[in-house]
Amino acid sequence: MSSDALWWRVAWRNLWRNAHRTWITASGLAFGYFASIVLVGLTDGMNAELVENGTRLMVGQVQIHAGDYLPERNMHRTIGGYGGTDVESLLTRIEDHPDIEHATPRLFGGGLLSSGERTVAGLLLGVDAEREVHVSTLLATLDEGRLPRGGAFEVVIGQEMARQLEAGVGDEVVVVVPAADGSMGNDLFTVSGIFQTGTPGIDRDYAVLPLADLQSLMAMAPGRIHEIVTTVTRSRETPAIAASLAAALETTAPEDPEPLDVKPWTELRPELHEAVALMDSMSFVIVIIIFAMAVFGVANTMLIGTFERRREFAVIRALGTTGSSVSRTVVYEGVMLGAISLAAGALVTWPVMVWWHRTPPDLSRWLRGFEWTGVQWRPVLRVEYSVDAPVVTGVALFATAIFAAAYPAWRATRVPPADALADR
Amino acid sequence: MRRTFPAARTRRVLASAVLLLVSALWSPSPVQAQTAREILEQVDQLLRGESSRGRVTMSIATEHWARDLEMEVWSLGTEHSLVRVRSPAREAGTSTLKAGREVWNYLPRVDRTIKVPPAMMMGSWMGSHFTNDDLVRESSIVDDYDFEIAFEGARDGVEVWEFELIPKPDAPVVWGSVEYEVRKDDMMPTHVEYFDESGELVRTMVFSEYRRMDGRLVPARMDVVPADKPAERTTLVYHDLEFDVGLDESFFSLRNLRARR
Repeated sequence: MSSDALWWRVAWRNLWRNAHRTWITASGLAFGYFASIVLVGLTDGMNAELVENGTRLMVGQVQIHAGDYLPERNMHRTIGGYGGTDVESLLTRIEDHPDIEHATPRLFGGGLLSSGERTVAGLLLGVDAEREVHVSTLLATLDEGRLPRGGAFEVVIGQEMARQLEAGVGDEVVVVVPAADGSMGNDLFTVSGIFQTGTPGIDRDYAVLPLADLQSLMAMAPGRIHEIVTTVTRSRETPAIAASLAAALETTAPEDPEPLDVKPWTELRPELHEAVALMDSMSFVIVIIIFAMAVFGVANTMLIGTFERRREFAVIRALGTTGSSVSRTVVYEGVMLGAISLAAGALVTWPVMVWWHRTPPDLSRWLRGFEWTGVQWRPVLRVEYSVDAPVVTGVALFATAIFAAAYPAWRATRVPPADALADR
Repeated sequence: MRRTFPAARTRRVLASAVLLLVSALWSPSPVQAQTAREILEQVDQLLRGESSRGRVTMSIATEHWARDLEMEVWSLGTEHSLVRVRSPAREAGTSTLKAGREVWNYLPRVDRTIKVPPAMMMGSWMGSHFTNDDLVRESSIVDDYDFEIAFEGARDGVEVWEFELIPKPDAPVVWGSVEYEVRKDDMMPTHVEYFDESGELVRTMVFSEYRRMDGRLVPARMDVVPADKPAERTTLVYHDLEFDVGLDESFFSLRNLRARR
């Protein structure tokens, strides 16, 4: 048996000399692990809720415009310039990117909607309904009626706009919009549905109609769109995905006359990005506190353990054991304690996380939803798995155990054999 | 998101048309040693109850398109006006009615009248560089502004007054100040400059081609140039103009707005 294996065995036996104490310490560490993982999971869950609710409704996670479209949103600045672009092939190229889930084209117009004596200013949004439903939840919030059919002069409007216009499903509204040729596009549309997103600005201002209908109303060719909105596979990595998509679009179509502007939601909704960063840093601080407490707990246990063994250390020192071997056995104890804690912690944490993720407690019986940073929140405590949190926390837990054993180990090497044996 | 609303543009044009009309009606009566308010009130008085009918071409040039609209314009004082597009054929019949502070548009394609909502009053009228608000404001110049003579004397060899119009504190006016230059000898306006609240020039209106129409001297041409886009402009040119054509308020009704004449 090598001497190292021997010291591992010695450490193992020492650990179980006081099994009670070891279990309590290990439980403390395991609970620290559990608490950190759940806390990080909850924070990630809230952040995911924040990002999804803040982007799923309208914004999407990556938006693509002509380079000079934002911030003025001039109606003439369509993707590909005045000539427009081959929308289908552009969408295909975008969806070919491995991190892009869905993409949908949009056209905007600012106009008037009028019904009877009532007239309101509204934002006209031309969409490809089949694609739009995969990207935004706007059309999924239809309260009444159904999606507008292309070529049938149908429009869906927000619930507040419907109220202001005193128009319901089946009613006619006049839509007036400035066209690209300077004329006033105007036509009669039928309200085919009414959406209710819960976001007042959207329910009041937006009227959604088929892309081709809005293009013809605005005297624009079918290749002219203002925006492509996409969802991505991992919303937290959107900036990197947007950058790689921008690079991919540049290489696949270098002949495009107009450079495309590819923006991640972190730039489109900076306040949302900041809210997520704030939540992350808060949970980081709490995790640090949890681990600081664990460090002192472990150090305390180990210190008591080494003080108890002063005489023992003195004897083996007197028998010729080197100081480094003595300290090694104490550090090994810390390593094994960490391993046991980690195993126990993972065993408890994993099923809880799985259960929590699958059936997030719905508190809506006690709490109402609220709005924060312009985003609607559901009173649901959801947790998200993260890949790095269990690993990072596990490594941190291990490091904590070893670090906490370092001081007692150093103390153990400093035991003067003669004094200790003489009980001085 | 900034919105560009066509209807709002329409209003602007209407407003300019109205302003043009007002300028056209500015009659050359000799005025001496009057205060700014007195001069402008006199003009205002002259216009009240006076009806007119005219034909005008509005040419709009923007960065992206250019177009000409032939229009017929009726007015009664400063409170009422009706503008009807005659060509191009695709838009013939499109009409705008101003009655007091309200602006209505008639769209022949859908056979509907639409009242311009308050949110759209700053929008462009008919795609021009006039706002709907211009149509409405013109009738309340005397009520909305304080006046003073900022300059009096010769400019480019012409004796002029330059009035400075400062909005009254509670007036619903978007401008920070307006400078209005009038030729002394015939009371003809020469140009108007509109400034925002920080004193930046927003747009300039220039009058020219002073001609006698139906016995009155009027500036037959007016150009509006936005200060931030000097290459763009809206030009109104009167081809004919008749005064005292015997209109009363009933002419400026929603029913008449819809009548396709």
